[in-house]
Amino acid sequence: MVVSVRSWVANEGGKHLVLMLWLAANTWLFLKTFLLYSTGQQYHYLYKMLGPGLCISRASASVLNLNCSLVLLPMCRSLLTFVRGSHTVSSRKTRRLLDKSKTFHVACGVAICIFSVVHVSAHLVNVINFSVSYSDDFPALNLARYRGEVRHTHIPGVTGVLLVLILFLMFTSSSYCVRVSNYEIFWYTHNLFIVFYIILMVHMVGGALKYQTNIEAHPPGCLRANQSGAEQLGEELEQGEDEERRCREEAHFQPHYPQTWLWVSGPLCLYCAERFYRYIRSCDPVTIVTVIRHPCDVIELRMLKKNFKARPGQYIVLNCPGVSSFENHPFTLTTCPTENKETFGIHLRVVGDWTERFTQLLLPKPRIDLEILPMVQQRRYPNDGWKGFRLQRLYFVWVCRELQSFYWFAELLCAVHHKLWQENRPDYFNLKLFISQTDNLQEKYRPLTSRLLVGRPRWKLLLDEIAKTNNNKRVGVFCCGPKGISRTLHRLCNSARSSGTTFEFNKESFS
Amino acid sequence: MGKIEWAMWANEQALASGLILLTGGIVGVAGQFRGWQFAAYAVAAGVFVCLLEYPRSKRSKGTSVERTGQYCFTVCVKSFGPLTRNYYVRAFLHAAICVPGGFMLATVLGCVCLGIASIIYFVAAIRGEHWEPILPRKESRMPVAESIKNPPQNPPPRPPAETRRKRVDDLEDAAYDNPISVTDN
Repeated sequence: MVVSVRSWVANEGGKHLVLMLWLAANTWLFLKTFLLYSTGQQYHYLYKMLGPGLCISRASASVLNLNCSLVLLPMCRSLLTFVRGSHTVSSRKTRRLLDKSKTFHVACGVAICIFSVVHVSAHLVNVINFSVSYSDDFPALNLARYRGEVRHTHIPGVTGVLLVLILFLMFTSSSYCVRVSNYEIFWYTHNLFIVFYIILMVHMVGGALKYQTNIEAHPPGCLRANQSGAEQLGEELEQGEDEERRCREEAHFQPHYPQTWLWVSGPLCLYCAERFYRYIRSCDPVTIVTVIRHPCDVIELRMLKKNFKARPGQYIVLNCPGVSSFENHPFTLTTCPTENKETFGIHLRVVGDWTERFTQLLLPKPRIDLEILPMVQQRRYPNDGWKGFRLQRLYFVWVCRELQSFYWFAELLCAVHHKLWQENRPDYFNLKLFISQTDNLQEKYRPLTSRLLVGRPRWKLLLDEIAKTNNNKRVGVFCCGPKGISRTLHRLCNSARSSGTTFEFNKESFS
Repeated sequence: MGKIEWAMWANEQALASGLILLTGGIVGVAGQFRGWQFAAYAVAAGVFVCLLEYPRSKRSKGTSVERTGQYCFTVCVKSFGPLTRNYYVRAFLHAAICVPGGFMLATVLGCVCLGIASIIYFVAAIRGEHWEPILPRKESRMPVAESIKNPPQNPPPRPPAETRRKRVDDLEDAAYDNPISVTDN
């Protein structure tokens, strides 16, 4: 499949630009710190003792500082939602970039791991060099207490080992398969980040690396009291010249103050404020108004909450203390609150233990001696809340394994279809339903059964058809489904098209 | 918390620990640290642990995601039978492997990480988990031409023969009349 430049730029351009900027920032920081330690006057003696290991360890440390501060920012979801919804960020490109915040978090996390490896390896070499090149000239500069001592029981050493252990736990539990199979392991180990940051901020206390404070009085490389220029050059020198190159005083060394807190405290406070805000918002109780059972283990839940605003496409996170106090589960909103109707709704499918227990609490098992009263179901045309959208046409492609699944949204889809038919806009909403197996088709939902297609959709043909009928337009593709479909669609959206249509790919996934 | 598969997490940890051991060993050998023999051992141990842990186990419930190119490793590991199937053996093996790494600064991290992985494997073994190889299934043949529907059984609806016959004398009445009213279906 040939990649079209325009489609690729529309879909990938923004992301790659941010990636380039981030890489450039990291590279610049690394090189700047490396050069500072290799050429800086105040590190002259230290560099002579430790060699390039010093520069590599400090350069990787500054990159780690940057990434540890950046990694928290994409996780401030409420803040990002607010920025995304505000009118100052009205460009669709910026909104789509903000959707990729989790990818940026992962990139920063991977950088932290890689540079931790570099940092630890370089410091191991430093520890050996401190021991081997024990300096008798400048005893204050040494880390080791005597020649040949490999000292590792100081604060940076111990905190460093703890940091690597926590990072190891966090990293190994955040792989895709662990997240998909056991999300709790991922969630609880990832919340160790607060311990990580606290230890990180005290990592440099009692610093092992010292810089020279009196460069003017003791220029590095100057002649000391018991040396003379003649010894080094083997020639007679002028008395004056000799005096000039003599040190006026002994070299004084001082360890660096911990600087990590300068980088990290801002984003950390922001993230803590974000979590606190989420907790405060979640304290308001939610009333469940309606519970509807649909075929194939799907429950529709209609709820009410004070001052709750949402727009189509957003998701909510449910926490039910009766099931589990600490588990939070995201669900996309299927009904948003409008000015006329304040209830909002989700559809949830009973798949795991949380949803099973939740459904049991909502809908107790029917007993034969009890009479089951039907729940009040409100059915209304979706007339309200249709203002302010620039949408010209909607193609809805839905792939299900069996026919029963379509009944989850049958009422809603038919209502939308009827409404648009009444408004004489029959081509606004195009339904394409695919099933893998045929079954008895009910006559009640005729608009759906006459549009059913058997088998998986052939995405290329589908997109080609949409492109032909929408020349030179921008078509947004929203994919919510398994990785296979998502990858195919992404590739197709980037491929070349003769009709001049650009497909912008967006996807939603919670894992 | 009831249905967590600890072995999957232990596997990720053990693989990462193997890499950490390997890296620490390489640094130790290259820097010619004191006690570099332990570093050389760590290189070998790291490689062994990585090879042992590379093939992922099949999940007891749900889809298993293979690592790239793990099939040949699966075959090798499977051939050891109960030694690799049982997680108690793995837990003790990892605990034993990690001990020499603790004697040298460069490999101490790898030792601790592998120790943690060994503990998690022990927990997995207590819960009764075991290693299952992921073997390729024979893909069932996709039905040919999935999207072609059955051909229509009846001819399309047409009005009776008299109406269809061409009537040159009365063109107005000869216009085709749709027998079924147009609906929104």
